[in-house]
Amino acid sequence: MTINHHLRDESLLRYAAGTLAAAPAIVAKAHLATCPACRARVAEYEAVGGALLEAMEPTAMSPSALADVLSRIDAAPSAPMAEHAREPAEIEGVPLPDALRGCEIGRWRWIGPGMKMSRVGVPHDRDANLILLKVGPGRALPDHGHVGTEFTYIVKGSYTDALGQFRPGDVAEVDDDTEHQPIVDADEECICLAALEGKMRFNGFIGRMLQPIFGI
Amino acid sequence: MHEASREYSAKAERLLSARGRLGVVNAAGNGSTMPSSQELSQLIEAVASRHDREAFAALFRHFGPRLKTFFMRGGMSAGIAEDLVQETMLSVWRKASYFDRSRAGAATWVFTVARNLRIDHLRRQRNPADLPADPEETPPSIEDAFLDAERDVRVRRALTGLTPEQQTIIRLSYYSEKSQTEIASDLGIPLGTVKSRVRLAMNRLRILLEDET
Repeated sequence: MTINHHLRDESLLRYAAGTLAAAPAIVAKAHLATCPACRARVAEYEAVGGALLEAMEPTAMSPSALADVLSRIDAAPSAPMAEHAREPAEIEGVPLPDALRGCEIGRWRWIGPGMKMSRVGVPHDRDANLILLKVGPGRALPDHGHVGTEFTYIVKGSYTDALGQFRPGDVAEVDDDTEHQPIVDADEECICLAALEGKMRFNGFIGRMLQPIFGI
Repeated sequence: MHEASREYSAKAERLLSARGRLGVVNAAGNGSTMPSSQELSQLIEAVASRHDREAFAALFRHFGPRLKTFFMRGGMSAGIAEDLVQETMLSVWRKASYFDRSRAGAATWVFTVARNLRIDHLRRQRNPADLPADPEETPPSIEDAFLDAERDVRVRRALTGLTPEQQTIIRLSYYSEKSQTEIASDLGIPLGTVKSRVRLAMNRLRILLEDET
């Protein structure tokens, strides 16, 4: 998989620092699984975190803190097993990135001609704005601007906008106030995973239909 | 890697650990010496291979008070910070076998453990009804075999090349989960300035890190 569109340094830093919101972090995780270059940067930013930790002024712990932890270790020396046997994520037979394991993925819902959407439920953050979009060949993605950055990961198919062509594994980070108009390439439908930090405002007919779904 | 740069890294590591020792003496006033990154790695490995409690206690003494400051800088109370330090150190004990010094330095690994617990904690606060998140669902730690522990030394050196203003903005990005809008209002500067500062700081860090390779 050749990756042409990457996450921005700021977002990789926030991912490494653990301060990226849940929905964009899932999109970032999907991209990281396909992109060694971005993984290497995340590792570097984690090392920045390590260096900052090492440079911290110590704050005294309570006198019993070590004994408390040791007695907890005695009570349960190993961690309870995490449920590893989670089903691989998929939507109606189409495999989805591992970053979506454990999320609630519903059925496709019709939202306009040649366009379907499935809202993704993130178990650890009910307010997360995360959706899957499926758009037919040659069609435009919903025309929208948004508040905050939008993160889009291409699962299947491809689209093209002013920034170029986006293919599976690529990720698009589009800022607020950018009106962008991705058009799905003619050969096949495109499935993408989109996360928002802020709220989305839609333009045009389909946009107005989508607004209530996002609860704006 | 060239012999010369390896030598340079070793020298930088000695300098850094010497500086760290001074810092600890000043801060704690007890004259205890700060373990080197290699010693810390050995301690984690001793916990992994033979459940060595002495090694764990040494790790606790080193990282515990630093982790507490780290959590408090993120806006947590001393009590919650202390709880999270205990959680972090418990995870260090339980997950020690996942530590691989060829992939990450000891402080970096402990940082990722603490970071994941902080994410879980903040999410539980927002969604009190939810069960604790599966730790495997939080961002993956360093997994790439092509990375090496030299990185820690490079990164520490690169950080010192930033201006104080740039260091502040990077620190804010790590300690708090504040959005850039909140950081802007805290610093009393426009959002656009925060954005451009982060961008400049990241570019500078990027250049410094690339110079190192």
